[in-house]
Amino acid sequence: MKISPKIVIFLIIILLSIAFPFFAGPYQQSIAKNVIIYMILALSWNMLLKTGQISFGLAGFFGIGAYASVLLSLKLGIPPILTIVLGGIVTSLVASAMGMIILRLRAMYFAITTLALGEIFRVIIHNVPNFAGGAHGLILPGVIFDGNGLYTYWLFLGAALFSIGLSYYFDKSKIHLALTAIRDNETTAKVRGIDIFKYLLIVFTITAGMQGIAGGLYAQSFGFVTPESSFSGDFILLPIAMALLGGIYTTAGPVVGAIVLGVISEYLKLYIPYGHLIVYGLIIVIVILFMPNGIIGALYVKIDGRKTFGKVDQPNE
Amino acid sequence: MTKAKRLFLSGGIFILALIIFIWRPTILIYGIQRAGLYAAVALPMALVLGIVHIVNLAHGELLMVGAYLTYFVSVTFGLDPLIALLPVAVVMFLLGMVIYKLTIKHTLKAPELNQLILTFGLAMVLGQSVNLIATSQPRTLTVDYVSTSLSIGELTFGVYDFIFPATALIILGGLLFFLRKTRVGKAAQAVGQNPRGAEIVGIDVDKIYLIIFSLSTALVSIMGSLYLTKQSIFPLVGGPFTMKSFALVAMAGIGSLPGVLIASLVLGVSETFLLSFKGYGGWSNIVFFAFIIGVILIRSHKGKQI
Repeated sequence: MKISPKIVIFLIIILLSIAFPFFAGPYQQSIAKNVIIYMILALSWNMLLKTGQISFGLAGFFGIGAYASVLLSLKLGIPPILTIVLGGIVTSLVASAMGMIILRLRAMYFAITTLALGEIFRVIIHNVPNFAGGAHGLILPGVIFDGNGLYTYWLFLGAALFSIGLSYYFDKSKIHLALTAIRDNETTAKVRGIDIFKYLLIVFTITAGMQGIAGGLYAQSFGFVTPESSFSGDFILLPIAMALLGGIYTTAGPVVGAIVLGVISEYLKLYIPYGHLIVYGLIIVIVILFMPNGIIGALYVKIDGRKTFGKVDQPNE
Repeated sequence: MTKAKRLFLSGGIFILALIIFIWRPTILIYGIQRAGLYAAVALPMALVLGIVHIVNLAHGELLMVGAYLTYFVSVTFGLDPLIALLPVAVVMFLLGMVIYKLTIKHTLKAPELNQLILTFGLAMVLGQSVNLIATSQPRTLTVDYVSTSLSIGELTFGVYDFIFPATALIILGGLLFFLRKTRVGKAAQAVGQNPRGAEIVGIDVDKIYLIIFSLSTALVSIMGSLYLTKQSIFPLVGGPFTMKSFALVAMAGIGSLPGVLIASLVLGVSETFLLSFKGYGGWSNIVFFAFIIGVILIRSHKGKQI
C-alpha cells in the first residue's frame, strides 16, 4: 500500500491531539473538550444534511442522551462510560421511533417539527420532578474518572475520532451515493429504486445516536443535567454555525469549523460576556450569503481548481 | 376543502365553544384573548410564506425587537406604548426593508435549505444584539389601564386583552382588503401564485417581495408593542412565537389567511383549557406541539402538497 502524504499528515495530527494534554494546561484542555462536543454535533448535523434534510433537533437528542446517561448511572449504578454508550443507544431508539413518523416530512416541515420535538422533550423532563428532577435537574455524586483530566480528554478524543471515522465512512461508502442522489433529486432517486425512507431512517438514527453520546459525555464530565442547560439552544446554533463555516457536505468542514469557531468563541466569551453568540449568528448569515462552501470549499476551489464543489450555491429553479 | 366539510367543521367548533362557554365561561374568554394574540402574530408570517415563499425563522425575534424599541421609546419620551407603537412600526418597516435588501433577496433563488439557515442566523443576530445592548434582564412597562376588568354576574374577567382578538380581526380585514382590492395587493397575489408568470406580465416581483416582507415586519412589531403592555420582555421572548406562528400557518394551509384565525382559536382555547387545571399548566406547551405535529402529519399523509 502506498503511503500518501495525506495519511501521514492525518496520523501526525492524531498523535499530536493524543499528546495534547502533556503540553497544555487544564484551561486549554477544557476548551478542547468543548470543541469536541460541538464537533460531534456539527459532524452529525452535517451527515443528515447530506440527505437534504435540515434538522433543528440537535439539542433535543443531546438532552436525551445527557439525561439517559445520568439516569442510568444514578438509578441503576451503571459505570459512567457504559452509560454514555447506552445513552447514545437510547437516543437512537427514540430517534428511530420518531423518524418512522417525521421522516415523511420534508424541508421546512421537517425542520420545524424537529425543533418542536426538542422543545417537547424539554417540557416532559421539566414536568416529571420525581423521576428526572424537574426544573432543578439531577446531580451526579462525582464526575467521570473522578475528575482525572487526562483520561477524560482521551475519552472525548476517542468519541471525536469515532465520529470523524463514521462521517468519513458515510462519505466513501455506497450509502453516500444514495444520500447524494436523494438530496439532488428525490423523485429521480425514487425512480431509480433507492429506498429513500430506509436510508433516511438509518442516517437519522445514527446521527441522533452521535448527538446522544455527545450529551452523555457532556453530562458525565460536568456531573449534572438541568432541562435548561441540557436542551439549550446553543447546541443547535453553535454546531450549525461551525459546520457552515468549515464547509457543509464534507467531513473536514465541521471539524475545521468547530476548532476555529470553538477557540475564537472562548476568547470572545472573556471580552463580551453577554451576547457573544451574536458572532455565531453573523457567521451563519455571512457564510450563507458570501461563501456557501465554507473554508474547506474555498480551499478546494483554490487547490484543485474545482468549481463545482457541493451544490449549495446553485440556483434551484 | 369542500363546502359541506367546511360547514361541518365550523358547526363542530361552534358547538364545542358553546359547551365550554356554558361549562366554564372564563376558559372561552381567556382562550379567545390568547387566540387573538397568536393569530395576530401568525398572520404576517402567513403573508410572507404565501407570497415570498420563505419561512422566516426570525419572525418572533422581529416581534421582540419591536417590543424593545417600544419599551425604550416609551421610557425615553414618556409616551404611552399604544402611541409609541406607530413610530416604532415605521422604523421596523424600514428595518424590514434593510433586512430584505441585504440578506433575504440574495437567497431567494438558492435552495430552501439556505433560506432556512439564513433566517435562523438572522434570528440569532437579532436576539443576541438585543442581549448585548439591553442585557437579558426582563423589562416590564406598567400601564394602569391594562388591568381593567368587567363583571357580569359572578363572572369577572380582564377587558383589555380583547385588544388582541380585535387587532387580529383588523389585521386580517386589512390584509384581505389590501390583497383583493388594491393594485399592489392584486399584484402580490399574482406573485404568490406564480412568480415567473407575474414577472412576464410586467410585475416588479422584487419590489412586491420588498413591500410584503417590510409590511409583515411592521405588523409583527405592532404585536410586539401590544405584547409589551401585558407581559415582561427579554431577548428570548420571541422564539416560541416563531414556532407557534409557523405551526398555525401550517395548520391553516399555506396561503389561507382566514384559516389562521380558526387554527388560533382551536389552539388558544385548548391551551387555556389545559391551563385551567391546577398543576398541569406546565404541560400546556407540549399539548400545543403535539397538536401541531399531529396536524402536519395528517396533512402530509393525505398526500397533500404542503
